[in-house]
Amino acid sequence: MRVVIGEDEVLLQRGLQLVLEQGGFEVVAIAGDATGLEEAVEKHQPELVVTDIRMPPTHTDEGLVAALRIRRQHPQIAVMVLSQHVQRRYARELLTDQTGSIGYLLKQRIADIDRFLEDLRRVADGGTVLDPDVIAVLVARAKLSDDAIGSLTPRQQEVLALMAEGQSNAKIAAELFVTEKAVVQHTSRIYDALDLPLDSDAHRRVLAVIRYLTDA
Amino acid sequence: MIKEREQPAAMGSNLARSLHRSLLAILCAGGLLAAFQLSVVRLGGAAAALPVLFPLIFLVYLGAGLIAWYRRPSNRMGVLILLAGIMLFLGGMGNSVVPVLEGVGTVTATLILAATIHLLLAFPSGRVRERTSAVVVGAAYFTTFALQSPIYLFNPSGPDPSLSVADAPMLAQVGGVVQGIAGGAVMVATAVLLVRRLMRADRTHRRVLIPLFSYGIAAVLFIAFSGNLFVRALHMPAALAGVLELVAVGGIPIAFVLGILLGSFARTGQIEELGTWLGVAGGERGALTAALSRTLGDPSLEVSFWVPRRRVFVDADGIPVVSTTPGQNRATVEIDYQGSAVAAISYNPALIDEPDTVRSAGRIVAIALERERLTADLRASRRALQHSRERLVDAADQERRRVAQDLHDGLQMQLVLLAVEAQQLANAPETGDLASERATRLHKGIDSAASELRQLVHAVMPAALVERGLSAAAEDLADRMPIPTTLDLDVEDGACSPVVESTAYFVIAESLTNAVKYAQATAVSVKVLRINSVLRVEVNDNGTGGATVNDGSGLRGLADRVDVLGGTMELTSEPGQGTQIVVEVPCAS
Repeated sequence: MRVVIGEDEVLLQRGLQLVLEQGGFEVVAIAGDATGLEEAVEKHQPELVVTDIRMPPTHTDEGLVAALRIRRQHPQIAVMVLSQHVQRRYARELLTDQTGSIGYLLKQRIADIDRFLEDLRRVADGGTVLDPDVIAVLVARAKLSDDAIGSLTPRQQEVLALMAEGQSNAKIAAELFVTEKAVVQHTSRIYDALDLPLDSDAHRRVLAVIRYLTDA
Repeated sequence: MIKEREQPAAMGSNLARSLHRSLLAILCAGGLLAAFQLSVVRLGGAAAALPVLFPLIFLVYLGAGLIAWYRRPSNRMGVLILLAGIMLFLGGMGNSVVPVLEGVGTVTATLILAATIHLLLAFPSGRVRERTSAVVVGAAYFTTFALQSPIYLFNPSGPDPSLSVADAPMLAQVGGVVQGIAGGAVMVATAVLLVRRLMRADRTHRRVLIPLFSYGIAAVLFIAFSGNLFVRALHMPAALAGVLELVAVGGIPIAFVLGILLGSFARTGQIEELGTWLGVAGGERGALTAALSRTLGDPSLEVSFWVPRRRVFVDADGIPVVSTTPGQNRATVEIDYQGSAVAAISYNPALIDEPDTVRSAGRIVAIALERERLTADLRASRRALQHSRERLVDAADQERRRVAQDLHDGLQMQLVLLAVEAQQLANAPETGDLASERATRLHKGIDSAASELRQLVHAVMPAALVERGLSAAAEDLADRMPIPTTLDLDVEDGACSPVVESTAYFVIAESLTNAVKYAQATAVSVKVLRINSVLRVEVNDNGTGGATVNDGSGLRGLADRVDVLGGTMELTSEPGQGTQIVVEVPCAS
């Protein structure tokens, strides 16, 4: 799978390249700023883009702006956005008008190589990945302001958070040390409580949950 | 002399009344003198008009002198005009029937010419300050008084034989010629001095000086030479020539009084007014300069104040004054108060003749000057302090950004890469089980260190504030609150300067922390809005209240920051009533 990287720190460029190549990705270009990133994307038409939010020249949010533009202009290209800090506002912006193929993780998650590679594959496959940190913020916040979520049991709230992270039922079961059947029961209860439409597509299910949480 | 009159005059209106009474007394005495002269002169005869004209013109001098003195008490022109009048009076005694008085008249007959030259060279202040001018004035009096003597001493057939000591018509004639030559020299010198003054004067003053000086010189020439010109050359009756002479003499005081009063020359006479003003006015900023400027008649007058600590003169706003080198149009007088410099008055020497006048006025206002000096000094140090505080706050903000950036780019990045390496080690097929387990533990340890560092960086300078601005950062704060938090945002990011936004951010962060940590609040609301150019932050909680700015929380430091930025912080925290913090900061600072 062909990847373009947007990252201004040379050390991290190398690290990312190493991790990605070990995971079987082909790094076709590395750009040090947002303009370079968009040019490389135009030129190489990769399947996946991995980019930092803060890049030169202004060191503000140009990576995020570039990611959104790439998704709009090239819907077939999946984008994983990495950031020093994750927050609800950026998640909402990334998910608005998106039908998947988008991810938003803390930079730090790179170190958990296997999981990071898996998240990349899921995004490239059309899925949605949000960092556990931002999911935690979303769930905690929704619990305070949303009666429907407040009515869920603590276990169901845990399942909800893992669902929002984009985990499969099997992964959730493994994480919580319960059976997959129990997870299915929890998820259907969650769908009822939040009044979400049942969907056979796993990606769309995750997206629905995340949208619910970010807009709560 | 001037000082003695000026200072009492400024002390109160009692002395002003006393001056008025004295002038009135002089007027009465002068009237009596004129009447006395009329009573002793020879009336009737061919030149009957002359004996009457003398006392009348003396009255003109008296009136003109008194008006000048009254209107400009500290200008000496009035006194000089009166003295000239006395000389004219003495000269008029030449028409007396009483021999002694007639003798006096003979001796002083031409003194009025010297007095006129004195007046011309002393105008407008009434003082002859230049050395050359003083010499010329002295020469004029010598010529008209001492050189007059041969004419009566050696001429028994002259108008007053009783003064004659010898019959030597030759000596009398030689004396006359010498007096004529000396008089001519004095006239030429006077004309040169006056022309020089005209050239140095500015345009407005020239308009007054040219007619005045021309008249003065013409009058002196006419009086001195009318006998030769009209009587001998044109065969005019001596009586008529005498009348014309006296009319010319009578015009002199009128011309000088008009020059003093209309010529916008230094109005030193109103120092008294200045004193009265000082008594009543609060002396708001700049008013003192305006009053001095008005009193001394120099619109360009400026006052600067001495700041001993910095050894500079500053203006009323506390801004150091560039020292003006004394030049053609600028002179400076320093004012002392109780032995130390308090201020400097810079003025246009063409408008104010004498530094003494300025100094006198300065001494009168020295106390007020000292007060204004202290105010200016205070303003200067306040300005310096404010600038240095602003720089400190700004530097602290910059430093936070730099530290956050450095930690993130450096240490944070390295920790992530170390964790990657540890994980790769754990995953490598050649790593044994035990080593793999330890490598995974190492990875986890590094990862949690990276998390802690990330939180530290966030606390120093949150990414959202750098990347987006206040509203994004405030939203993230509210999102992470463990209690219901409502956020009301009405501000676009980047609308205020970074240092204002970060100050507002830390106020919100601190208030939210306090609400949860100390006040046990169960709900909190945050409002951030911009009203015109003021950023307003309001945080309300329903906690226990009783908070103060000085209770060791971070609010003290933030209150200082807000103050430096020209804003206000209000903390309302009655026990049991919850806590409200309202901060308003001008956006632009």
